[in-house]
Amino acid sequence: MVSSSRILTYQGIPVWRHVQVIQWAAQILSGIVVVALVVWFFTNMASAIQAREIPTGFSFLSREYQTPIGEHFLPYESSDTFLYALFVGITNTAIVAVAGVFLATALGIFIGVSRLSTNWIVAKLAMVYIEFFRNVPLLVQLFFWFYIILELPGVRESIVIADAFFLSNRGFSMPWPKPTDYSIALIWLVLAVVAIVAGALVYRWRNRMEERTGESSYPLIYGSVVAVAIGAAAWLVLSFASGNSPFFLSIPEPQGRFGNIVGGFTARAGLLVLLIGLVMYTASFIAEIVRAGIQSVGRGQTEAARALGLSPMNTLRSITFPQALRVIIPPLISQFLNLTKNSSLGGAVAYSDLTNIAVTMTQTAPAVSIFMLIMASYLAMSLTWSVIGNLYNRQIRFVGG
Amino acid sequence: MAAQPAGTPEPLLPPRTEVGFIGWLHANLFSSWFNSILTLASGAILVLVLWFGIQWVFLIAEWSVISELGGRFLLGRYNTEAACDGQNCFWRPQAALIMVSVLMGAAWGLQSNRVARTLAWLVAGVAAAFAFLPYDFQTMGLDVRVLLLLNLPAVPLGWALARYTPMGTGARITMLGVAIFFLTLVLLRGLPGIPFLQPVSVVYWGGLSLNLILAVGGITLSLPIGVSLALGRRSNLPIVKVLCVFFIEVFRGVPLITLLFMSQTLVPLAFPEDMPQNSLFRAAVVITLFSSAYMAENIRGGLQALHPGQAEAARALGLPGWQTTLLISLPQAIRNVIPAIVGQFIGLFKDTSLVYIIGMLDVVAIGRSFIQSNPEFLPNARELFVFLAIVFWIFTYGMSYVSGKVEEHLGVGQR
Repeated sequence: MVSSSRILTYQGIPVWRHVQVIQWAAQILSGIVVVALVVWFFTNMASAIQAREIPTGFSFLSREYQTPIGEHFLPYESSDTFLYALFVGITNTAIVAVAGVFLATALGIFIGVSRLSTNWIVAKLAMVYIEFFRNVPLLVQLFFWFYIILELPGVRESIVIADAFFLSNRGFSMPWPKPTDYSIALIWLVLAVVAIVAGALVYRWRNRMEERTGESSYPLIYGSVVAVAIGAAAWLVLSFASGNSPFFLSIPEPQGRFGNIVGGFTARAGLLVLLIGLVMYTASFIAEIVRAGIQSVGRGQTEAARALGLSPMNTLRSITFPQALRVIIPPLISQFLNLTKNSSLGGAVAYSDLTNIAVTMTQTAPAVSIFMLIMASYLAMSLTWSVIGNLYNRQIRFVGG
Repeated sequence: MAAQPAGTPEPLLPPRTEVGFIGWLHANLFSSWFNSILTLASGAILVLVLWFGIQWVFLIAEWSVISELGGRFLLGRYNTEAACDGQNCFWRPQAALIMVSVLMGAAWGLQSNRVARTLAWLVAGVAAAFAFLPYDFQTMGLDVRVLLLLNLPAVPLGWALARYTPMGTGARITMLGVAIFFLTLVLLRGLPGIPFLQPVSVVYWGGLSLNLILAVGGITLSLPIGVSLALGRRSNLPIVKVLCVFFIEVFRGVPLITLLFMSQTLVPLAFPEDMPQNSLFRAAVVITLFSSAYMAENIRGGLQALHPGQAEAARALGLPGWQTTLLISLPQAIRNVIPAIVGQFIGLFKDTSLVYIIGMLDVVAIGRSFIQSNPEFLPNARELFVFLAIVFWIFTYGMSYVSGKVEEHLGVGQR
């Protein structure tokens, strides 16, 4: 009877020892603390803004910026608005980021594969490269390249390669395709995209056929022939219809008394330094990622491929690398993010990236609003890389994995 | 020797091309025609780089810019008249250095392994070697030289302290380290009202010592903060989880430079005006939090890689949740991601060079400002930055070397 009465009078776990109660109490408490802190910060900020009459709001965006921007790829004049100047900064950062990502990936894969070479000298050279560039701050590397470029001869004594490439302390000029007529160039670009899509479809069709029949169907050759054929046909038709080709190759050449270089594409010193520094630095990290990825593929895979008679090159291309990609892609994407964010060091080497432009803006515009805008811009760029990476990652992951 | 049936010939030796030095050459450099071409091409590159590199280092480069900067590399503008206002406060960083030597010695006494011993003697030896630099007594007085030499006896002192006194436990040495860190800060900053410790504004701090202080403080704090954030992100409490995810993603999505700028323009507004403000402290907090966000992701990776059976077994044995986490999950998770954690430490150390943004003259910025204010040294900027690269490399490579040793010690990859 005693025991049953104890069971009957059992009240359950006391409230203060109930796990869920404790957890929710802790959560609500931490939530309240954070909210209180944020409110406190904002009231302080609001009172400081009122007391010191700091301007806020986003009305400045439509005002004229009135400040020159050192390097810009979009047409820009001082009479343009703040909003447009910010957009110019975003394109400057995006151009460095995209160019840097492509170059760094290529160099990184090359060095990462060299690191695993059976050739002793090649492997050691790659190791020295990785260990050096990975372990030295990017800022030191950027300053090093900055002063190297500064020591190059002036623009009139440029180092000339093949009459088309000019290297001087102003930057690097090279031939570049330029549109003859913007509307026709645009039409051709659209058709070129169509050609690439068509090529991809043909590649997929031939690939499926190869998988189904087991016979060589040369998907890469078929796909690229189709793409090139459509692109070339579009080019010819447009050239005949309009009288001149959509693009012409503009070759840089020195002009006038000061030997300023006209035509082609000129990467000015700031862009050049930033790009060299970012690519060399990020490539060392990518090389390590590639090495780890290739090593993560089981030895048996390589051995089986070799036993089937595949050459070392083919083993790497069609057996090891596709499997290594699964391991490589996630950290690779985070390196892309790092490269994009590290481009904010551009200000130190006279390149007008987004951060540099925004910081200059804070002298004439409300800092609070500007920082909100650039944080949003960088978060958007990070998000873009993540989305691209995740899409690709979904493509290559294990089936059913 | 196993007996051989009559008539069987003696076993042949392996061909000369497969053993010894020639065999090594054949296997590693000339195994195929493609490999031979690679060897010749990369060998040519190597010879060219070495030829021009050695020529540049010994014949062309003028290293006078390094000696010209001298002590400013280490201390920035700390030992200038403006910083100390007539007093001699040059002894303070030296005293801090001696304390570090004691600490290194104590670590050696506690661990008594080769790496700890080498490190301790290396630090003390390099510090003592500075005493013999050919500067005259005006720039480096006798007192400074004596203080630098005192680093040598400081190591055995620390060793004896750890060996023969009750100080010799890990917890106490760690506490000693924390105490020395704060004592160093107090020594450098000074205390108002104490005769020999006249306050020195943080704007005069600089040089490599600034990088090291920021790195040591950041490394020590970013690991526990990162662990808490990682645990918060993995917890099943929605509010805590959302807060942690928000913090991590915002700090990881924005460049450190932008955050440092914000710490100088926006953060002061968020505190009442009468609160004491310190730009260096704000920068240190931002660098630490930035690193913690990355650290959290590394540790989360380690926790995810852990087999759930570990935590389940611990719970089945009756360990409460916090003990399961602290004693079972975290140690294994951290051990699994040591390379990533040390990589983040190295990243933090490299990122300390970004304090130039807030106008602090760390070792990189002091070199840059020296070049800019002395244009006659402009052609020597290369030498300066090569030197800085080597200085950073020694520290960062040393860190990854020690991490490799720690992994070996913990038997990572063997269990």
